[in-house]
Amino acid sequence: MPRSAELTAGAGLAITAESLYLINLLLAPGIGFLALLWLWTRGHALAPPLAAAHLSQTMSASLWAGILLVPASGLILLLGDHRSPGVWAVVIVYFTVCHAALVLCGALGLAKALAGQCWRFPLVGRPLPAGCNTRG
Amino acid sequence: MQYKSQAVAKPYFIAAIGLFIGQILFGLILGLQYVVGDFMFPEIPFNVARMVHTNLLIVWLLFGFMGSAYYLVPEEAERELHSPGLAILMFWIFLVAGALTVLGYLLVPYSGLAQMTGNHLLPTMGREFLEQPTITKVGIVIVALAFLYNVGMTVLKGRKTVVSLVLLIGLLGLALLFLFAFYNPDNLAKDKYYWWWVVHLWVEGVWELILGAILAFVLIKTTGVDREVIEKWLYVIIAMALITGIVGTGHHFYWIGAPEYWQWWGSIFSALEPLPFFMMTVFAFNMVNRRRRNHPNKAAVLWALGTAVMAFLGAGVWGFMHTLSPVNYYTHGSQITAAHGHMAFYGAYVMIVLTMISYAMPILRGRQAANSNLSQVVEMWSFWLMTVSMVFITLFLTGAGILQVYMQRYSTDPLPFMVVQEKIALFYWMREVAGLVFLIGLITYVASFFVGGRQPEPKATAMPEPAAG
Repeated sequence: MPRSAELTAGAGLAITAESLYLINLLLAPGIGFLALLWLWTRGHALAPPLAAAHLSQTMSASLWAGILLVPASGLILLLGDHRSPGVWAVVIVYFTVCHAALVLCGALGLAKALAGQCWRFPLVGRPLPAGCNTRG
Repeated sequence: MQYKSQAVAKPYFIAAIGLFIGQILFGLILGLQYVVGDFMFPEIPFNVARMVHTNLLIVWLLFGFMGSAYYLVPEEAERELHSPGLAILMFWIFLVAGALTVLGYLLVPYSGLAQMTGNHLLPTMGREFLEQPTITKVGIVIVALAFLYNVGMTVLKGRKTVVSLVLLIGLLGLALLFLFAFYNPDNLAKDKYYWWWVVHLWVEGVWELILGAILAFVLIKTTGVDREVIEKWLYVIIAMALITGIVGTGHHFYWIGAPEYWQWWGSIFSALEPLPFFMMTVFAFNMVNRRRRNHPNKAAVLWALGTAVMAFLGAGVWGFMHTLSPVNYYTHGSQITAAHGHMAFYGAYVMIVLTMISYAMPILRGRQAANSNLSQVVEMWSFWLMTVSMVFITLFLTGAGILQVYMQRYSTDPLPFMVVQEKIALFYWMREVAGLVFLIGLITYVASFFVGGRQPEPKATAMPEPAAG
């Protein structure tokens, strides 16, 4: 296999993984994650480096997203007084910023997958596997 | 510069930057008036400062769009501009008319200005963003027609590309929709209804076409990716922008006396409005990831990527936040709207004009492709200062807006407007500080034009082979 083809093998799976990550955040929370989990359990061990990297990144980022968005927001409401407007201001701004940042990371991940390149999510991403194309 | 006539873009860009500075200064005055109510009163009352702040924004963006078109169209059409002389003449007419209008706002009471300019003959004044005297509006139409004629003839006589046609459709839409500024029915519901045809269908309709075309042009030039690939993305993005944006106008019709079905149409279609902006982000980053060369103008690439991200956040995310009818019932016209307005205008339109200026100005000033490294570093500092401060302005206004909505509208024991304004004053102070940082960023931006002028420009490099690791 030519080197460039070798590097972009698994691009379809990588794009699907990033799309499911975004679907989970934007359209169908939970359902998107279950589909991603199914894909990850089937593919992550045997997939080419590009697909394995995107599967592992999106899986890890989805788990973090779940923690950052649901329990953390709940905790702010629980620890603060949920009848206080100040607490609502904090929780809404926190949720919006967090959610937007996670979606933005997914958009960048999708752009990388479309270009056949690996991408490590900032802070919440796992180290990239060997053999990943990190051009750009 | 490939075509001599592209040089007409330069005065448009300079005027745009000058008016941008004016807009920000008035923004700072306004921000202070939120917390020190009589600041500069009676010389510059709040309503006048607001009018100047918003009108300057519109006018300088129009200068930016026109300059961008005058630079972009000859290169796309592969021929000189139809009439560079007409472009320069229109520049001076627009600049003088704009300056006189702003002076009128500042020096004459608004009602007096209406009387002086013969508003009673064809009343069009007194509406937000369309405060210009009727005679100025007529001037805008004349300038727009001459501009469209000039650009249109250039496109028609030359090579027709997707980029130039999308730009032309966007500019044509801009001019045609402005005609609704002359329709001023007595019925207030009707007045508001058609007023949005100018305001909404500009910023969430045809301006997105202009944005998409300019972004595509800069990405073609800086990444070396095949035009066909970029054009396909552009088609899909503008289709989504129009599909969602046109019916999405309904999110302005919730509470103005329009039929109830707009609650549904407005909510559904405007909830989809983030889509084109999301696609724009994926598009811009995908093209840069697939680039065939490292363009020496790194600042322009940074502005282009920044446009996509900030437009998605400001127009997409912050727009979605309050677009559904049941949410908008509480948030309508609150500081949440101001937060959205600030980030959306900055992300989508300020940044795309600055992207084009960043790409074109070095060439217009006689360089091959880019400014020196020093100049670019200063410019990139300005990018981060302005962008980060705009993020903070948005966050502070969002916090203020949530508190405002809760205390004034949601609470079982709602407080009066002015009492709430006092309670959220801290957020306004923080917004003002962020605004000052924005001004520092803008000064840095202007400074970038005056540093490193004698230093050589960096060279373009080919992209290395994909690296594994």
